[in-house]
Amino acid sequence: MKKVIALLLCLSMVGCIFAACGNNDAPETTASVENQTGNGETDAPKEDKIVIMAPPVTASYLENLKVWAKDFQKIYPHLSVEVIETSWGDHNGKLATMAQAGEAPDIAEVSSGAIGTFVEMGVAVDIAPYLSEERLADYDENALNYMTIEDTLYGLPLYLTIQSIGANKGMLESVGADVEKIQTEGWTYEQFLEIIKAGTKENVFGFVFANAGVTASDFINIFGAGAGLDNNFTEDLKYSFTSQNLLDLLKAVEEMTQSGYMPNYGVEAGQRLVMCQTGNAMIFGKAMPLFEANFIQNNAALEANDGSAVENSLKMDYAFLPVPTIGGSEESCYGTVDGLIAMRNNNTTEEHLQNVALFMDYICSGDRIASCMNELYLTPVCQSGRDALVLDEGRDPANLAAASRCIDLVKAPPAGVTAEMTATAKSLMDEVIVPKFQLLLAGESNAEEVYKAICEAAFDAFGEENCVSGKLS
Amino acid sequence: MASTGLFSQHVNNKTVLYLRNTIITIILVVLAVATLFPIIYMIMSAFGPNVATAGNMRSIFPSRLTLESFEAFFHFSEHSVRWIWNSIIVAAFTVIGNVVFASMAGYAFAKIKFKGSKALFGLVLVAMMIPYQVTQVPLYILIVKEFKMTNTFSAIILPGICTAYNIFLCKQFFSGLPTPLIESAKIEGCNQFQIFTKIVLPLGKTVLAVMAINTFMSSWNNFFWPFLVTSDPAMYTIQVGLKQFKFANETLFAPMMAGATISALPMFIMFFSLQKYFMEGVTIGAVKG
Amino acid sequence: MKKNQGLRLNRRRKFFNDEDRWGYLFIAAAMIIFAVFTLYPVINAVYTSFFDYKPFGSKYVGLQNYIETLKYSKRNLFYKAAWNTLVYTAIVVPLSLLISFSVAIMILPFKKRTQSVFKAMYYLPGVASGVALSVVWLWIYDSSPDGLFNQLLQFLHIPTQNWLSSTKTSMLSLIIMALLSSHGTSIITYIAALHGIDNSYFEAAELDGASFMQKVRLIVWPLVKPTTLFLLVTGVIGSFQVFMNAFMMTGGGPDNSTTMIGLLIYNNAFVYAKYGLACAQAILLAIVIAIVSLIQFKLMGVDVEY
Repeated sequence: MKKVIALLLCLSMVGCIFAACGNNDAPETTASVENQTGNGETDAPKEDKIVIMAPPVTASYLENLKVWAKDFQKIYPHLSVEVIETSWGDHNGKLATMAQAGEAPDIAEVSSGAIGTFVEMGVAVDIAPYLSEERLADYDENALNYMTIEDTLYGLPLYLTIQSIGANKGMLESVGADVEKIQTEGWTYEQFLEIIKAGTKENVFGFVFANAGVTASDFINIFGAGAGLDNNFTEDLKYSFTSQNLLDLLKAVEEMTQSGYMPNYGVEAGQRLVMCQTGNAMIFGKAMPLFEANFIQNNAALEANDGSAVENSLKMDYAFLPVPTIGGSEESCYGTVDGLIAMRNNNTTEEHLQNVALFMDYICSGDRIASCMNELYLTPVCQSGRDALVLDEGRDPANLAAASRCIDLVKAPPAGVTAEMTATAKSLMDEVIVPKFQLLLAGESNAEEVYKAICEAAFDAFGEENCVSGKLS
Repeated sequence: MASTGLFSQHVNNKTVLYLRNTIITIILVVLAVATLFPIIYMIMSAFGPNVATAGNMRSIFPSRLTLESFEAFFHFSEHSVRWIWNSIIVAAFTVIGNVVFASMAGYAFAKIKFKGSKALFGLVLVAMMIPYQVTQVPLYILIVKEFKMTNTFSAIILPGICTAYNIFLCKQFFSGLPTPLIESAKIEGCNQFQIFTKIVLPLGKTVLAVMAINTFMSSWNNFFWPFLVTSDPAMYTIQVGLKQFKFANETLFAPMMAGATISALPMFIMFFSLQKYFMEGVTIGAVKG
Repeated sequence: MKKNQGLRLNRRRKFFNDEDRWGYLFIAAAMIIFAVFTLYPVINAVYTSFFDYKPFGSKYVGLQNYIETLKYSKRNLFYKAAWNTLVYTAIVVPLSLLISFSVAIMILPFKKRTQSVFKAMYYLPGVASGVALSVVWLWIYDSSPDGLFNQLLQFLHIPTQNWLSSTKTSMLSLIIMALLSSHGTSIITYIAALHGIDNSYFEAAELDGASFMQKVRLIVWPLVKPTTLFLLVTGVIGSFQVFMNAFMMTGGGPDNSTTMIGLLIYNNAFVYAKYGLACAQAILLAIVIAIVSLIQFKLMGVDVEY
């Protein structure tokens, strides 16, 4: 009896393996069709399949993407689109594995900071030759610069997100801040410090910034923009994180963490918004314009009183604020671009890339991007998107104006930075600047020591002559 | 029952026995509660209201009890139920594969003296020592590029169908079986296959049950590999599916926990249906005598 | 592989006796699977470690990746990560083993039903969703006065700690987390081993008047040695490769105090596009693990025979 069972088990395993082989047929045929497409040129457009991989940028993004793919096929019947859905947070891991295996999708969503990785791997494709001048002109130059490394354009921007700080509007006004003036004209670090001092009471912090773990880098990026550290490199391609501006930033951060106006311990990303909504914090970071939706939703939940509101939360309005300027720097705002890049795989041919670029452009422009931006409370970075944009009802005009003013303040990386420079700057940021900054936040080091450690590592990496000394101009 | 002899000291003194068991119970319960905390939290959030943002729940008990999160889980995707079913198929085949192949190999390494057995076993162990982060890329190339298995059960199951870990586990357990027993069976004319099915497997029920339970659990919790080799939502396992509840700026936390709670059920069933096998213990001594 | 063996068997019948053939037959299926899905990727990784790997057009660089890994420089995190990993392993693995062994023994004196309740209690944490786990652990280590551990400290009138964000407590936090997380697998494995011990041993010991501790030391411990060796070796392998906790909880910070080799390898392979370097680091790690495992086998590897 037992022998029979063992035999059956073995057979079922073997069957399973054969079933696997059986399944091979389907993908193989499609692959061969694609190969034919690559070869030879005839007048009739060859059938082609474009593979795009994206995470849920918004809750409805992937559903929309499939609809747009069908619409696209109506215009170009010979082009079909396959959507690989990934999940947020694991998208990059999957993409990097696929890319290292030489099996990258034709189009993938990446943030501008990660493009360098794929350029280094040699799988990112220059798409400029496959797009007409006229189509390229549709996109803002500033946003396109984010998708460019060493004068090569690797993809098209989906959106430019700005990251800054936000606040409980009512509480801010109650301590005498002129919210409208801050939103329209910006403010200095000294003014900011006065206000968070006034906002600090028992059980209420004037300011809270989620800085635990890797989110410490948000603090550097956002307040760094306020201190004039917009980019890793200056216009003349010197490394900027060795400048006096960094020391100014570090001193300001040291002062803030020891002031008692903000927590002197690590705050988890999930906590900042909650602390504001429960009235335990006045200003919080990082914040994006789209948080307005969270506040509107929570206010509605409080009204309905159905238990779905944040526990112990209060009704309040949200104000999106520009980051204060530190050390007399020009006002600025931290922004990154998320976009679609074209990638090389075994199907890549000239004709295929033409089709890939066509679809990429279709997704990044017009009412496709407009609907996506509406969900993210952002303004499209292409003219056709702005033309198609019909704003949802109920948006706060002051926040909208503040957000679009901040978008204009964002400075794209300078031209001429090489992929190698980007990679070195990235590893410096991850392995030296953020770790040392974490020490400062924990009160286990001071601004001078951190500054010195960062400078030493940077001189070691780039050479002292390629690093900025003194104030950034 | 075997091995209760270890605790035979105070069986005759009721008070001491009672006291001893109470102290042990307290220690065990305190330790268990510490490790059980996350799962209690998971189940409680699942029965709470459908709140979006994650990480703000600072209490175990939800503000009100409701099933709406479960409803939201099932309505989230047309494939929600299918994900659980996929996970069951994957875990079941992985368990069967390991029980059959690893127990055979483990027995051979433990009790059959064949040439090269030490070297081969060493190779099995060494292969375990290379971190999966770097073997993942060649494995992906193999499965996706060479075998073209994307979106198949085979792609998810095959790499884990007979793990080095389980071969090692079986070898360690079977090496504890009495060699004279096997020798005498051989003298009586049994071949190795008969010895394996008639003597080793019945005596090894315990380790097979342990292996099945542990393999089921790790297969069930495996996320990254199924995520890598599936692109069609209909082929997702439950762990891959649950990650779809997280977006750039919000997480459908309660429905996600509802899904996780439902997906834990098959593991309970698996555990309770198999645990009698390692409750019985093995009476090797009786056979030997 | 199977084919080759078959050929060799036919040609050199005299060289292989009956035992050999049975042995090969029993391991054949496992070895084929092993060769394709484990050995091939491993060999591939070893091969790649000598290349500046690019998906399209790798370049042979000899030992460059190994030199770059081992070369001492201010920004080379390899040694720091190796030290962190070593500290973590040296504390977590023996303590986990001790906890599992003690729990498994403590479960034994109870009636069957009580036993199964306890076993379920220790097995259950393994089924918790990873997301629930990380949310709960972040809550436990929340550095604000509302964090669970900080509430406990306040209750004991100890100042609150900046758990994951301070270099003083970050590694400790990861170690506590590992020790309080699920030991279900090893407890169940130990219970299975304990049930395999025959009562006659204890009866004999009792006649000699052995105490409880003597029975544990002289009977139980030697008899479950193969299990302990198994859990020790696999525990050390797992701990040396540890990656998820640092990745989820600290990202390696603060000041790289929780950067583990596993995290370094992941970052090199998938964030910095240095896959060849990652392979070299993985091989070096494997060599260290192999040496440590060999020592464990030498110290504990005497197979117990009845």
